Amino acid sequence: MPTEPPVCLKAVTKSYGSVRALDGLDLEIAKGGVTALLGPNGAGKTTAIGVMLGRLRPDSGTARIFGLDPRDLAARRRIGVMLQVAKLPRQLTVGEQVRLFAGYYPNPMPPAEALALAGLDGLESRRCAALSGGQQRRLQFAIAAVGRPDLLLLDEPSVGLDLEARRAMWTTIRTLRERGATILLTTHHLEEAEALSDRVVVIDKGRVRASGTVDEMKSIVSGRTIRCLTALDDNALAALPHVRSVAHAGRHAVIVTGNAEATMRALLLADAALADLEIASAGLEEAFDALVAA
Amino acid sequence: MSTSNLAIFGREFGAEIAKSRRMPEFAIPTLVLPVVFYALFGIMLAKEATAAPYMIATFGVFAALGPSLFGFGVGVATEREEGVFALKSVSPMPAFIYPLAKLAMTFVFVALVVAMIYAIGVFAGGVAFTPAQWAGLFAVHMLSVLPFSLLGLFLGYTAKAQGAIAFANILFFPLAVLGGLWMPIFVFPAFLQTLAQILPSYHLAQMALIAGGMQDSGPFLTHLAITLSWTLALAVAVAWAVRREQD
Repeated sequence: MPTEPPVCLKAVTKSYGSVRALDGLDLEIAKGGVTALLGPNGAGKTTAIGVMLGRLRPDSGTARIFGLDPRDLAARRRIGVMLQVAKLPRQLTVGEQVRLFAGYYPNPMPPAEALALAGLDGLESRRCAALSGGQQRRLQFAIAAVGRPDLLLLDEPSVGLDLEARRAMWTTIRTLRERGATILLTTHHLEEAEALSDRVVVIDKGRVRASGTVDEMKSIVSGRTIRCLTALDDNALAALPHVRSVAHAGRHAVIVTGNAEATMRALLLADAALADLEIASAGLEEAFDALVAA
Repeated sequence: MSTSNLAIFGREFGAEIAKSRRMPEFAIPTLVLPVVFYALFGIMLAKEATAAPYMIATFGVFAALGPSLFGFGVGVATEREEGVFALKSVSPMPAFIYPLAKLAMTFVFVALVVAMIYAIGVFAGGVAFTPAQWAGLFAVHMLSVLPFSLLGLFLGYTAKAQGAIAFANILFFPLAVLGGLWMPIFVFPAFLQTLAQILPSYHLAQMALIAGGMQDSGPFLTHLAITLSWTLALAVAVAWAVRREQD
């Protein structure tokens, strides 16, 4: 089944009482690369992960992992998981914990390799109770990675990590990506999505709002905004290259463009009297805000 | 490493043993309570020599109650709350291994406690059962783990950790006292005696007394049938709770 996508959710709905956590979610993650699932709190990210993992039963729609039911052991042996909330049993040591999970997979890494990957070298015999919050998270990362999974599902992997540990984890995620793993992570750190992901999927109110590369996402939503005083009328402005929309704010024209440089070049040629020029570039954050507010 | 169910079970079981060995705050009360109570009521404070064998039968059932409700039930509730249960349930560990490893651990633990009670009875109380009676007693005591553990598991799946502790306490004393595990139920008023007869602990204690030759064996199958009905009903309740977990 080499053609089956690692993750495929089709028209998944899931309600809790009157709250619709997932509202016809369609999501397909192709093999390879890092995909970030972005959304505000309550957008349905964790519910989506729960359905993907077969932990939650969707009210309707289907979830498939490599074409299999997510509850199928054959599917699970290809997934490594890091959940948002998990405290590992206090009485077991780091090494015992990693060996236990390694033992579920047919072809795991040596536990020491997983620990090194997660930056826990030398802590093998430490009890989980004695780990800091950040070390607990890293241990969970080691557990997710130890089975050499084809698909890593990481729910808010860097929560509770300080900046240095977060950057170390990013490096590790990139390493696993280079080894060919498909990685899906949820995050509300836009910086994290921007730093790591090949593809971003924005979900809100249980549906996919937009998806694409980080650059695409930035331009899809707000692109860049050119504000200026111009003698050109709206039709002329709209005919400029890459212009998506033209509006007015007071005497200023507000032009949204997918390519500010190209639009500017044409605009300056067409209107020699152009004045009071201002170009605002959107970061992922602005793009994201615009998307979820829509 | 092998990914056969048996190999995974073996490693999970080992981890459960390690966990409880390193958790004396759980192990000591559930281990010490039945042993000390037996030594106290069955031997030291007993007015008649018949108390020692009688109470081996009933305290053996009592020994199964604590580890099943507190170790197993509260243990599951705690791990559910902490999220490690969720992590295991999405891992490639076959789902049934998790409760099975804990159940096996409970059996080992209870076997240890009843062995200590037997030893005290023999060496301090002069108890002498035939080998067949010992085997029967041990079988009933091990059977006790099943309905109690399913009750614990049901708590574990439906309550939060603190709630599970509270419920386990609420169930623990009536099951022990009204079931006649501490003293014969004929010391209670009539309505409590009637109430006792719906409890699985009562029927297990009766079976243990029959197995030890201290009671007429006539109604053994009735006690067994009621115990197995409880076991089945609790298994259905657990299956419902497991299914509910996914909603």
